Amino acid sequence: MAEVVFSKVQKKFGAFTAVHGLDLSIAEGEFVSLLGPSGCGKTTTLRMLAGLEFPSSGDIQIGDRVVNDLAPGQRDIAMVFQSYALYPHLTVGDNIGYPLKKRGVGKAERLAAVAKTAELLQLTELLKRKPRQLSGGQQQRVALGRALVRDPQVFLLDEPLSNLDAKLRGYMRVELVELHRRLGRTMVYVTHDQLEAMTMSDRIAVMEGGKLQQFAPPAQVYAEPANRFVASFIGTPGMTLIDGDLSQTGGVWTFNAPGLSMPVGPLTDEATAGPACLGVRPEHVSIGTGPVQGVIQVVEKTGHENIVIIGLEGGHRLTGRVPAPQSWSIGESVQLTLEAEHAHIFGAGPHGARLNRPHETAPLKTKHNPDKTKPKLQKAANE
Amino acid sequence: MLTFRKILFNLMAWSIVLAVAFPLFWMLVTSVKPGFELFRRPPTILPETWTFEHYWKLLSETNFLIYFRNSIILSSATTLVVVAVATLGAFSLVRFKYRGRESLAFLVLFTYLLPSVVLIIPLYLLLVGLGVSNTIFSLVIAYTTFALPYALWLLRSFMAGIPEDLESAALCDGATRMGAFRDVILPQLLPGIISTALFTFILSWNEYLYALVLVNSDSSRPLTTGVMNMLISSFNIEWSLLMAASVMMSVPLIIVFAFLQSYLTRGFGAGGVKG
Amino acid sequence: MSRQKTLLERRYAALGLTLIAPTVLIFSAVIVYPLFSAIYLSFYNVFTPTLEGEWVGLSNYAELLQSGKFWNALKNTLIWTIGSLSLQLIFGIGMALVLHQNIWFRSLARSLILFPYFISTVVAVLVWKWLFNDLYGILNHLLMKVGIIDFPMDFLGTMPNAMISVIMVGAWKYFPFVVIAVLARLQSIPDALYEAAKIDGAGPIARFFDITLPQLRDVLVVIVMLRAIWDFKEFDLIFLLTGGGPLNDTQTLPLLVYQEAFALNDMGMASAYAVVMMLIMLVFMIVYIRRTKDDEGS
Ligand SMILES: Nc1ncnc2c1ncn2[C@@H]1O[C@H](COP(=O)(O)OP(=O)(O)O)[C@@H](O)[C@H]1O
Ligand SMILES: [Mg+2]
Repeated sequence: MAEVVFSKVQKKFGAFTAVHGLDLSIAEGEFVSLLGPSGCGKTTTLRMLAGLEFPSSGDIQIGDRVVNDLAPGQRDIAMVFQSYALYPHLTVGDNIGYPLKKRGVGKAERLAAVAKTAELLQLTELLKRKPRQLSGGQQQRVALGRALVRDPQVFLLDEPLSNLDAKLRGYMRVELVELHRRLGRTMVYVTHDQLEAMTMSDRIAVMEGGKLQQFAPPAQVYAEPANRFVASFIGTPGMTLIDGDLSQTGGVWTFNAPGLSMPVGPLTDEATAGPACLGVRPEHVSIGTGPVQGVIQVVEKTGHENIVIIGLEGGHRLTGRVPAPQSWSIGESVQLTLEAEHAHIFGAGPHGARLNRPHETAPLKTKHNPDKTKPKLQKAANE
Repeated sequence: MLTFRKILFNLMAWSIVLAVAFPLFWMLVTSVKPGFELFRRPPTILPETWTFEHYWKLLSETNFLIYFRNSIILSSATTLVVVAVATLGAFSLVRFKYRGRESLAFLVLFTYLLPSVVLIIPLYLLLVGLGVSNTIFSLVIAYTTFALPYALWLLRSFMAGIPEDLESAALCDGATRMGAFRDVILPQLLPGIISTALFTFILSWNEYLYALVLVNSDSSRPLTTGVMNMLISSFNIEWSLLMAASVMMSVPLIIVFAFLQSYLTRGFGAGGVKG
Repeated sequence: MSRQKTLLERRYAALGLTLIAPTVLIFSAVIVYPLFSAIYLSFYNVFTPTLEGEWVGLSNYAELLQSGKFWNALKNTLIWTIGSLSLQLIFGIGMALVLHQNIWFRSLARSLILFPYFISTVVAVLVWKWLFNDLYGILNHLLMKVGIIDFPMDFLGTMPNAMISVIMVGAWKYFPFVVIAVLARLQSIPDALYEAAKIDGAGPIARFFDITLPQLRDVLVVIVMLRAIWDFKEFDLIFLLTGGGPLNDTQTLPLLVYQEAFALNDMGMASAYAVVMMLIMLVFMIVYIRRTKDDEGS
C-alpha cells in the first residue's frame, strides 16, 4: 500500500497545456476518482502516474519514492485501460499471467496465481480462449484479472466500465467497490461518469481544463461544490444556476435577479457586492407556496419522482424535483420557495468560487449518500 | 428478364477480364507449343501437341538457372535487410519522441517518390569506387535505395494501426520497451511484415535498371537482365524459349498469388493508396 | 517552469535514436549522399569510361535548355504520362465498378486483373513483343482477320504506333493499381447512402454521379498524384519496348538520362537532365506530401 502524491505536476503537449500545476495527495488505501468532462486531462494524469507519459515539470511520488525516473514496470502499479488492451495473440490465461512472467515468476507458481485470479473473476472456463472470442464484459474482467494477479501497490483504472452496457456497469461498480474493500489497495479511478465517482470513491478529484477544481469526499462535492463548475457538473438533474447581483444591507446579503430576490446565508469574507450566481439544487425547490412566481414548462416523470422545469418571470428556468404523486400540468402558474439555507452563492464567471460559509450548509438529504465508512486501519490490521 | 441481364453482364465482365489476362494466357500457351506449331497460320489457340522441350532447354542449355539463383539470393538478401531495418525504424518513427523525427518521416516519403535515374549515376560511381561493382552485393546496396523507403512507409502505416494501449499495457505489466516490442508489437505487426516482405521481394525480383547498369557478368546477373540478354543476344529469337523463361520467372509470383494474395491487397491499402 | 526531461524520457529518446540509426546510416550513404552528388556532378563534365572530369559550372544546364533533346524528351514524357494515366484511370475505375458487382468467380477475376501489375516489366515486355510480332504475332493476325488492316502492322517501329503501343502496354500493366485502390474505397461506401438515394428516386446513373464519384474523389486525387509520379519516372517499360525509338520519338526523360550517361558517356550532362527531371517531379511530390500530411493531421 502506498500513498500517491502529485506536486505541481504540469504536462504540456507542444504549446498546449493538458495538466496545469496539479497538487493532489491520495492517501494509502484510498479509492480516488478523477472526474471531469472528456478532454480535461484525466487520462494524461493517470498515464503520468503510470510512467507512460512524462510530466513537463513537477514530481510524482508513490509511497516514499519519487517515481519520475522510474519505468512503468518499476513503479509497482497495475493499470486497466479503457480499451482493455488485451494482447490479442495470447490466450486469456497468458494475458493474465503476462505480468508475472515479466517479473520472472516460475511457470508452476504463475499458473497457480492465474487460476486463483480466474476463479475470483469467474474466468476459469475461459482461460484457453483468445480475447476476441469473449464478450465485452468478459474482456473487461480479463483486463481486471491482469491487474489483480500481481497485487501491486496502486491500481490505475481508466474508464474501465465505459464500454459496458448499463446493467453490467451497475454490477461491476459494486464488484469493484467490493474488490477495493477486500484488497485495501490504493485505487485511482478515472471516469467522466459522476454516478460512478459518487458511488465508488472515498474522495473525488473534479478536473476541468487540466485544472483540479475540487478534491473532497462525494458528499462534500455534492453539498459544498467548490465553485460554479463543480456545482454545474455534479448532480442529475443539475443545479439551477441563476446569474444576478449580490448586495449587502446591514450585514445581510441579498441576491437579486429579474423576478427573484432572496436573502442568502452568511458568506465568506471574499464576498463582494456585484455580479454573482445563485445555485439551487432541484430538491431544495418547494412548489406550492412561496414568494416566487413561476410557470410550469416541462414535467418529466421518472417513476418515483417528477422533475419539473419552471419558468420564472425574469426568463430564468428552474429545475425542481418532487415525489411522484405530485404533478402539475404544463402552463400552470405556481408559487415557489427556494430554500435559502441550501442556496449556494458563487462568484462571477464560469469558475466563480463558492462564497457560502462552509459549516453553514445543512447536511444533505439526497439519494447520493454513499455512506462508506471504511474501517481502514482495522482492515489493515486484519491482513 | 432480370437473370438475362445478369448473365449478359457477367459475360461482358468476364470477356473484359479474359482480354486483360490474354497476354498471360498466350505466354503460357506459347511456352508449351512445339517450334513448328508457332508459325502456323492461322495460329492454334490451344497447342495441338504439348511439349516441355523449351523448359528443358531453358534449364539445361542456358544460364537461366544461374540467373534464377542470383535473383533468389538478391531478392532474399534485400528483403531480409530492408525489412529488418525498416521494422525497427518504423517502431522508432511511430512510437518514440526525439528531435528530427518529423523531418525524417518526411525524408522517407520523399525518397519513396524519388526516381532511380537520379541516384543511379552517383551510385554507379560510388560502387565502382568501392570496388564492389559487378557483384550481387552491389545490387543489394542499390536496391535498398528504393526498397527501404518503400518498406518503411508501409510498415510505418501498419505500426500506426496497432493500438498504443497494447504497448502501454505491456510496459505497466513490467516489460521494457524492447520487451514490449517483442512480446506484443511484433506479433501484431506480423501480417504487416509479411505483406511488406512480399512487396519488397517482388520489387527486387522485378528490378531492371540497376541490374542493367551495375552488373554485366553472367555470374551475378539477375533474371531480368539475364533473360533480356537472351532476347538480344540470340541470332534468331526463340519465342517459345523466351515465353518459358517468362513463365519460370513469374513462378514466385504465382506462388504468392495462389497462397498469400490477401497480404498483397493489405499492403496496397497501407502504403500506396492511403498514403 | 520548464526543466530537464526526466531520465526515463531521455533513455527512451536514446533508444528511439538507436533504433532509427541503421535507417539513417543507410539513407545517408545510398540516398542522401548520391542525391547531393548528382547535383554536384551536374556542374561537371564527366567522361564515363575514365570517370575524369572538369568543372563546367552551369553550362550543362544552359546546353540542356537549348538542346532539342531535352524538350523532345519532356514532350514525350508528358504524352506518355498523360496518355497512359488517363487510360489507367478509365479502365481502372470501370473495372473496379464491375468487380464491385457480384460477378461470377469474383476473386478469380480479381486475381487475373491484378496479375499484370505484379509481373516483372521484363516479362510484360517479352509477352507484348511476341503479341506485337509482325510475322507471327497474334495481334496482327486478329486485326487482319477482322479486316481492320490488310498488311501486318509495325507496332513498335513507326510513329505514332510506337507511342500508342507503349501507352497501351503501360495502361495494361498499371491499371490494376487503380482497380484495387478504387475497389477498396467503393467497398467502404455505406450502403445506406445508396438506399437513401434510391428512395429519393435516383437512377443508377444519378447515383453514380451523386454518390459514387464524390465519395471516390479523395482516393482518386491520391491515385492520380502517385501514378503521375510513378509514370513520369518510368524507365523499364519504355526502354525495353522501344529503347526510345523510332529515332527518339518515344524517348522520355529517364531514358535520356540513361542514354547520356551510359551510351554517350557524359555523366555530367546526364546528371543535369536528372536534376531537372527531379525538379519537375518535385511539384507533384510536394502536392502529394502535403496531402498526406493533412490526412494524418485530421
Ligand atoms: N499525445 C498527445 N498529444 C497532444 N495532445 C494530447 C495528447 N494526449 C492528450 N492530449 C490532449 O490533452 C487533453 C487531455 O487529454 P486526456 O487526458 O486524454 O483527457 P481525458 O480527460 O478525456 O482523459 C486533450 O485535449 C487531448 O487532446
Ligand atoms: Mg480519457
